[in-house]
Amino acid sequence: MATPQATTATPRAYVQPRHGLWWRVRRNGFAYAMIAPAVLAMILVHLIPTAQAIYMSFLDLRVRTLKQFLGAPFIGLNNYTNVFNNSSPLSFGLADAARNTFFYAIVVNIGTILIGLGAALLINREFRGRGIVRTLLLMPWILPTYIVGLVWGFMWRQDTGAINNILIALGLTDHQHAPFWLIGPNVFWAITIPTIWRGFPFTMILLLSGLQVIPGDLYEAAKIDGANAWQSFRHITAPLLKPVLSIIVLWGVIGSVYAYNIVAVMFGNGAGYPGANGDLMQVLIQRQTFQGYAFGAGSAVSVMLMIAMLVFVAIWYTFFRQSLSTEPKNS
Amino acid sequence: MASAARTVRPVGTAKPINWGRISGKVLAWVALLLLVIITLYPILVMVTTSFKSNTEALSNTSLFPSVWHFDNYPKMWVSINFGNYLKNSLIICGTTMVVATLLATFASYALARFNFPGRDTYGIAILATQLIPGIMFLLPLFNFFKWLRDNLGIPLLNTYLGMIVLYVAFFLPLSLWILRSFFAAIPPDLEEQAMVDGCNRFQAFYKIALPLARPGIAATAIYVFLTAWDELLFAWVMTTTDDVQTVPVGIRLYLGQVAGNKSNYELAMAAAVVVTIPLLILFFFVQKQMISGLTAGAVKS
Repeated sequence: MATPQATTATPRAYVQPRHGLWWRVRRNGFAYAMIAPAVLAMILVHLIPTAQAIYMSFLDLRVRTLKQFLGAPFIGLNNYTNVFNNSSPLSFGLADAARNTFFYAIVVNIGTILIGLGAALLINREFRGRGIVRTLLLMPWILPTYIVGLVWGFMWRQDTGAINNILIALGLTDHQHAPFWLIGPNVFWAITIPTIWRGFPFTMILLLSGLQVIPGDLYEAAKIDGANAWQSFRHITAPLLKPVLSIIVLWGVIGSVYAYNIVAVMFGNGAGYPGANGDLMQVLIQRQTFQGYAFGAGSAVSVMLMIAMLVFVAIWYTFFRQSLSTEPKNS
Repeated sequence: MASAARTVRPVGTAKPINWGRISGKVLAWVALLLLVIITLYPILVMVTTSFKSNTEALSNTSLFPSVWHFDNYPKMWVSINFGNYLKNSLIICGTTMVVATLLATFASYALARFNFPGRDTYGIAILATQLIPGIMFLLPLFNFFKWLRDNLGIPLLNTYLGMIVLYVAFFLPLSLWILRSFFAAIPPDLEEQAMVDGCNRFQAFYKIALPLARPGIAATAIYVFLTAWDELLFAWVMTTTDDVQTVPVGIRLYLGQVAGNKSNYELAMAAAVVVTIPLLILFFFVQKQMISGLTAGAVKS
């Protein structure tokens, strides 16, 4: 635990703070040479296209003007206002997709964290075969998400799918009344449950690594003081897991708001329409932008999606700031 | 550890039976068993369906096939040109893995060892790239690649090169982040000693730090490969001919997107097994390094 701290402290010992900026830049020629290729890649594929996308969102860039690319006519905020008065090429189903993405992110993250936490607590005990069980539980995480979409899409089929077969076998429904999962409101669960299934193992592993650094004597001490299992979880485990949890929430929300693969494969590789209850933002933007080459409108909606994400990160930061700033002191 | 300490008690005193504790234990075992079943069942469905006949796969009356159709595996290669998609995936993901890991190794070493001006900004920029929706830079990149092809004749659309350039840049931030924690965990004393003994800065990196970071580099490489293997959005948009299309794009063809094609779920599942089993085997060998790299990257941040 102490070593990473020491290593990050060592370079500071070389660099005297009284030296000027230019001196420090020249001293670090080697470091700049080492990061140069990665920085170049980031400028070419992240920075420039992001700037272009923002610019494109102000252009009348569609199939007729496609050849002009960035020279397409400038139309100001029209692509944005069109979204709000329902005349954008992306308007069809946009409200559905936004609503689905919002609830999908919430349900997926609550589900992954609850199941991941339960699994981590179950695994974080000494028992024979623990390593094997842990490896087995990790398997969905190794499965490519497009395979997850394919297999679950097969299992959700109404007439002969594995899910309805199990529900019938358990006596919860019968052949006549077996629910449709890939049509109608249940589609939301048909995309949410596989995402949780795929996502909980990694959350489990992160929480497990958080649990394992909690010193065991804390629990011993709590036990002597007469705390029960729930109290020691509430007052020892939960607060000490907060830093790990903050990271899980951040990456989890980014991953689920920008989710694409499972939905796209389950409903025909980006060509099919998942319906009003299964469409997600990235799936909609990709499908509807390329349908009519409505690149200006598509960029505008993408920019709005990114702004929504930035708002989330700001909220996240104010909520978890304390646990993040105290973390270095703990380690 | 804790249970060992608890079992120490005066000789001759029998431990009282604690029914609450036992029922708690039973409950935990039942929960764990249920979790394992739910985790493994879809994978089992994938594997058993791959051995069913077409009618049995579609009627799906039982989990296991009544007759095991091993010939699905030879059949899946000819039903669609799956070997071609697999080849494309291997070329694109393999090259991406090598190049991205190499660039990430250089950059993450610099990030872990030097306090250069701009380091913190660069660190934040790496994380900020993850906030951009993939589709947002895809739209200009698609147009830019098209523009390059039409005006300058540079072939990036529908080529291996274009996909590799995209994937390398796309997966670089995450691999940088993982590798950084590995380099940060290596004490710099050895490199300083080597430099006193006459190595230059690059030699100290190459001869001392690099071998020590090898497990971390391997884990990062495999993580990049897994992520690239799983990429669909870019592949779907940027490739339109099967010369460069990858497995995630091609695998749907088993399900009758092509007119007149019936849904061959058993072949799709066989293909799914073929692309998944190597990953699972690979994972068993490197899971320790991969998990420690990913958790360290996430937990320390």
